[in-house]
Amino acid sequence: MEKIISIKDLNYTYPDSQNAAIDHLTLDIYKNEWLSIVGKNGSGKSTLTKLIDGLIEADSGTIAVDGQVINEKNIWNARTKIGIIFQNPDHQFVGATVEDDVAFGLENQGMPREQMLKEVDHALKLVKMADFKKRDPQSLSGGQKQRVAIAGVLATRPQIVIMDESTSMLDPDGRKTVLDLIQQLRKEQDLTIISITHDIEETELSQRIVVLNSGKIVKDGKPDVIYNLGADLQEYGLDEPFTSKLMSVLGKQLKLPDGYLSEGELKNQLWKLHSNM
Amino acid sequence: MEITFEHVTHSYDVNSPTANLGLDDVSFTIKDKLFTAIVGQTGSGKSTLVRHINALLKPTSGSIKVGDRLLTPETNNKNLKPLRKKIGMVFQFPESQLFEETVEKDIMFGPMNFGATEEEARTSAHKMIQLVGLDESYLKKSPFDLSGGQMRRVAIAGVLASDPETIILDEPTAGLDPVGRKEIMDLFKQLQAEGKTIILITHNMDDVANYADEMAVIHRGKLVAHGLPQEVFNNQELLKDNLLTLPQSAEFAQDLAQKDFKFDQLPITIAELGAKIKQQLSGETNG
Repeated sequence: MEKIISIKDLNYTYPDSQNAAIDHLTLDIYKNEWLSIVGKNGSGKSTLTKLIDGLIEADSGTIAVDGQVINEKNIWNARTKIGIIFQNPDHQFVGATVEDDVAFGLENQGMPREQMLKEVDHALKLVKMADFKKRDPQSLSGGQKQRVAIAGVLATRPQIVIMDESTSMLDPDGRKTVLDLIQQLRKEQDLTIISITHDIEETELSQRIVVLNSGKIVKDGKPDVIYNLGADLQEYGLDEPFTSKLMSVLGKQLKLPDGYLSEGELKNQLWKLHSNM
Repeated sequence: MEITFEHVTHSYDVNSPTANLGLDDVSFTIKDKLFTAIVGQTGSGKSTLVRHINALLKPTSGSIKVGDRLLTPETNNKNLKPLRKKIGMVFQFPESQLFEETVEKDIMFGPMNFGATEEEARTSAHKMIQLVGLDESYLKKSPFDLSGGQMRRVAIAGVLASDPETIILDEPTAGLDPVGRKEIMDLFKQLQAEGKTIILITHNMDDVANYADEMAVIHRGKLVAHGLPQEVFNNQELLKDNLLTLPQSAEFAQDLAQKDFKFDQLPITIAELGAKIKQQLSGETNG
């Protein structure tokens, strides 16, 4: 597998703070991977994002994006490869219409107008918001706003999309739409997705989960391995998955298999127990 | 404090022929000292509803009785302070309301605005910072040096410092991690036990199931249901029309019921769901 981001022994401490926000962190992220970075508030998730996007500079260590170690000179080039979708869509809107808004990033890159209009239409089509292009962004629902924000990011043709708690403000339907859309785009556009969240249930579409605590990686594995930690996840400020909570209420006398079960697997096990009665 | 809405309609643009109704003939009572959850899709009118309680918005028609105060379309902006002192409001992303140079000054602002002396306000700040789970050393920090979760706690402390009788919370835990969220939700439950009335706007149906005594569902400005969470989450019409999403436990039970399992009432918490499954898996073997 080809590495798209390679982080080596990264350190960062905020001015005036005594504790390292990122503490000797080493991590490889692969092309077309969906990686979830989870951890409680203050675990270093957002700091790591800011370091990757060059918004803050590491005290020591290196970050390579697409094979190139980023420094002050090439950071702008590295940034064109990365798009970030933030938590609150309301803070991201600058345009008076949906299409102006999506065009903003491209204007910044100095793209000619004609090409820009094409790119904007294409991006809005990808997120299924083409019909809304003349609308005021503020008149949209939360999920629609986040889709427009995604279009704005896609228009700049990034290779890496970072979702910084981008679904935490959405209602359950809006959240599902956005996550399904990202999954589809990851496949079709060959994107690498880094999603940052503290909601364990949001990581089910990812292929790998990294658990961050006090700026260090404390776990790195496939979702079922991480979900298997059950109640131990609380130690890292995370919630235990629904099924493992339910299984601890059900207790040992019901003969359920050990380890993590997805909702579907648990239902099948319960139906089996019922029909064996 | 008991709060009664009587035929409250709120139109955002009275002059427009296609008047945009933020609230449409809403009548119900939020009971004193209960924990009431208000749910509904984004844009349904939840925030519009609660902004009528402290007269940030006034009804286009109808009235709201808040304790012994009656709010009507004619209510003027004078003399609203006593009402607003009794009703603390924590907005979405309350950290955006922080502005003072230290946490202490920020928390003291509310009480002093409502006439407390500096000494009283300071005492209150020291008490409240601990109540929201931060130690007193935070009082000397700048609010802008805090993490998102800590800022949220400071903003909540600022609202509590004026000792309101009723606390309105508009998605107070959005963006907080699960442990932080539980601590904050437990704090609200504790405040209720101490005699406060709690009104919570939320998208999180598990929080409704775990914490609320009553819930109201708003859809397109109308009140479509109000009652015990257990009843409302079992209201088939609401579910059929997709006006409500279910807590995880109820959703799981609904799926299980497609085969073999039967639930007269959908369980809304994990404890209830677990008990009902165990009952059905053991009940028949015993009998």
